[in-house]
Amino acid sequence: MSMLEVGGLRKIYTTRFGGNKVEALRNVSFTVEQGEYVAIMGESGSGKTTLLNILAALDKPTSGFVALDGRDLSQIKESEISAFRRDNLGFVFQEFNLLDTFTLEDNIYLPLVLAGKHYPEMKQALVPIAAQLGISELLKKYPYEVSGGQKQRAAVARALITRPRLILADEPTGALDSKATDELLHLFGQINQNGQTILMVTHSVKAASHAGRVLFIKDGEVFHQIYRGNNTNEELYQKISDTLTMLATGGDRQ
Amino acid sequence: MKRGFYAKLAFTGIRKNKRLYVPYILTCIGMVMMFYIVAFLSYSPVLTGIPGGDTLQMILSLGTGVVGVFALIFLFYTNSFLMRRRKKEFGLYNILGMGKGNLARVLLWESLMIAAVALGGGLLAGIALSKIAELGMVNLLQGEVGFSLTLEPEAILQALLLFGVIFLLILLNTLRQIHLSNPIALLHSENVGEKPPKANWILALMGAIILAAAYYLAVTIESPVETLLWFFVAVIMVIIATYMLFVAGSVVICKVLQKKKGYYYKTSHFVSVSSMVYRMKRNGAGLASICILCTMVLVMLSSTVCLYIGTEDSIRSRYPRNINLDVTVEDLNDMDSKKMDTIRTLSEKVVSENGQSTNNILDYQVAAFAGYMKNGIIETDSSHLVDFQLDYYSDVWQVFLVPLSDYNRLMGEDETLNPDEVLIYTTKSTEYQYDTIAFGDREPLKVKKVVPTFADNGVDAMQVIPSLYIFISDFNATVEPLLSITDLRDQQLIEMHWFYGFDLSGNDAIQIAIQDQLEAAIGQTGLLTDNFHINCEGAAKERSGFYGLYGGLFFLGILLGTVFLFAAVLIMYYKQISEGYEDQSRFAIMQKVGMTKREIKKSINSQILTVFFLPLITSGVHLAFAFPMIYKLLALFSLTNLELLILVTICCYLIFALFYVLVYRITSKAYYSIVSGAREGKI
Repeated sequence: MSMLEVGGLRKIYTTRFGGNKVEALRNVSFTVEQGEYVAIMGESGSGKTTLLNILAALDKPTSGFVALDGRDLSQIKESEISAFRRDNLGFVFQEFNLLDTFTLEDNIYLPLVLAGKHYPEMKQALVPIAAQLGISELLKKYPYEVSGGQKQRAAVARALITRPRLILADEPTGALDSKATDELLHLFGQINQNGQTILMVTHSVKAASHAGRVLFIKDGEVFHQIYRGNNTNEELYQKISDTLTMLATGGDRQ
Repeated sequence: MKRGFYAKLAFTGIRKNKRLYVPYILTCIGMVMMFYIVAFLSYSPVLTGIPGGDTLQMILSLGTGVVGVFALIFLFYTNSFLMRRRKKEFGLYNILGMGKGNLARVLLWESLMIAAVALGGGLLAGIALSKIAELGMVNLLQGEVGFSLTLEPEAILQALLLFGVIFLLILLNTLRQIHLSNPIALLHSENVGEKPPKANWILALMGAIILAAAYYLAVTIESPVETLLWFFVAVIMVIIATYMLFVAGSVVICKVLQKKKGYYYKTSHFVSVSSMVYRMKRNGAGLASICILCTMVLVMLSSTVCLYIGTEDSIRSRYPRNINLDVTVEDLNDMDSKKMDTIRTLSEKVVSENGQSTNNILDYQVAAFAGYMKNGIIETDSSHLVDFQLDYYSDVWQVFLVPLSDYNRLMGEDETLNPDEVLIYTTKSTEYQYDTIAFGDREPLKVKKVVPTFADNGVDAMQVIPSLYIFISDFNATVEPLLSITDLRDQQLIEMHWFYGFDLSGNDAIQIAIQDQLEAAIGQTGLLTDNFHINCEGAAKERSGFYGLYGGLFFLGILLGTVFLFAAVLIMYYKQISEGYEDQSRFAIMQKVGMTKREIKKSINSQILTVFFLPLITSGVHLAFAFPMIYKLLALFSLTNLELLILVTICCYLIFALFYVLVYRITSKAYYSIVSGAREGKI
């Protein structure tokens, strides 16, 4: 059984006065296996963000289903949804979303504290992750004192520390310069090799070229997908570029 | 550009920010209204015509000044809240191509609109309510008034002028801020990256020490005179300490809590403690201001209410009987002579002619002088007084020598004394600490007993220093040798008085008539000489003056109390609103990270509760420690009814707390709606 199953997902937004209906997702189906590193690509307005919101249980689909480890997200009670998110999903955002009132360390602890873990336990969990992400020296600093790349690494640490089943990343490199982007993508690759499943939404070809599989969304549907196979990052980069050109020029399905 | 463009822009600006502007405009209206009412009353001819009204109008014209100054400070303060939130909007306009000149025109329109609404609304409300205030006032003075509504052009002019200037100053200040800043700074002015506050141990410690010292001062001070001297010192110490503790102490406490890992990393403490650090850094001063305003309101209300309720007590201790005669004699032989009998019979005659009878007669002689007390010796040698210093004041006594026979007769006692023994009685809850008492270098006399009470003569109520009654067995023998003592101006130090007074059953009008007739009758006897004069006073005649003074203070207490309450409420409201906007994004993040709505609500609740009720509780503690001082100060106004003071203080606190909870309800609602306005956090 796949870890994440998405079937026949459809989402229609109705404007406030019920006049216009916008179909953000038409018919999206795909699966993600344990340990996979999947990138979802698409232009603005293609429904990427809607898809991610539904995967994160922040939004409900009009029809279709999302199941994590066979458990249908729509069946989870409203009161348990936060705990479910906390225990099973890790989030990395474009804007980092670190709290400026906390040190990096406390920011990373936040989900564990919410889960009611004790300090020694949290400390133990943090040490290896901080070392892996190279932020051991920065833990006592506040977000405003560190660079964007360092903030994003702290945010990754916060996502990892709960040992989530799935990491959802929303344009994680969007606010980073190219050097920090390279470092972060390298880290994602490492984390994935350690067995962590990652699902990343992006429109950066470079970011997508680090993934094991790339899904393309257009007009609310999964239009195409590319497996890495034995390709290097550079080769995959080229393939993705070609696909995007083809999508833009309106070529038919291959 | 089209005509009316700026006006329209200004109007939209106000309307779009109505959550901020409505309370501000309401405050302006409230301030104008309050100012007009106070000014109106201080000019009202109706009040001038009532006995005691002039005293009151003098107090009220002081009140006008206080309200005016307060309005200036307060409106400036609230306006700064508004500006902080609107700078982003102005930055955007600026970037979109509006010059600072154009912005200034928008701001000018805004100011004009607000000023027009505030002055118009405020004056209308003021005029409407001024009649009610006038009726209330007249009622306090126990006078009568018609129901016609009057305007006071002078007061209207004053209000227009004062608030015109205030609005102009606020506008200029805003323009200055806009002028000095660049568009990018305007855009980002709302969320400048903030450093975490450092725990300032020294400041916190100093605050704690100063507060402890002030409290110690308040509870240990014994005499009313010292209280008078030290009260303002204590008040200033408490104000400084409150600011220090709220600003620095709170951060220190939060930091200590953060160090305790076991406590800090709990779901219920984690978010609250860490955001409290920032909150206190930003709002410590505001909270301290609220706390001090609360304390001032409470002290003012409880003491003025007490004074007003106790007016009759005060009158009674100032005028111990309905009619009081104070006969000053210079010759010891005039004491207890035929002259006194003449006055006694004359009084009886006048009273019975009016169909009344004398009750509760007060009749005794005294030898009085003020002296500096040191180790049981009353210093009579005036050369010692040259190096007199202010802090000796607490050792200065008003001394009354009274014959034991008068004491026994008035009190119905049967005390006896040896020639070297005395009885003493002290006023203003001051204690006499020695076993013996001596006049200058003369033989000390033994204090046989401290008696619990004596018939007061009204002199004590007029002075801040306590009185010491010394009852002696042989009046003439004791007083005679003291007569030769002179003071610095070579005047005889000792004054001899004979106090004679009685109560009447008739009403105030009859009492006043009797007083006038008695004065006239005494004048005709031919008894009065340079060495023998009589002062005739009646409680009835002075009553309106007392009500004017105490009623005025009472009214002013309520008025200023209301104004300060307004201020405290508004500061709290703006604090909540501006924090709500700041916390919006923070709580959105927490939701994304997996905090449930219930947890968020709980965390918000605990923070709001702390921030809200910290000032109230602190002001309660301040009030409790100020209580002994207030009690002693009120004793200076001859108000010694402890139960009344306790009751009034507690009532004031409870009523105030009720208001406070109400405001809490309203503002926390606004806060929730802003914070939850972040909706379900979308990625």
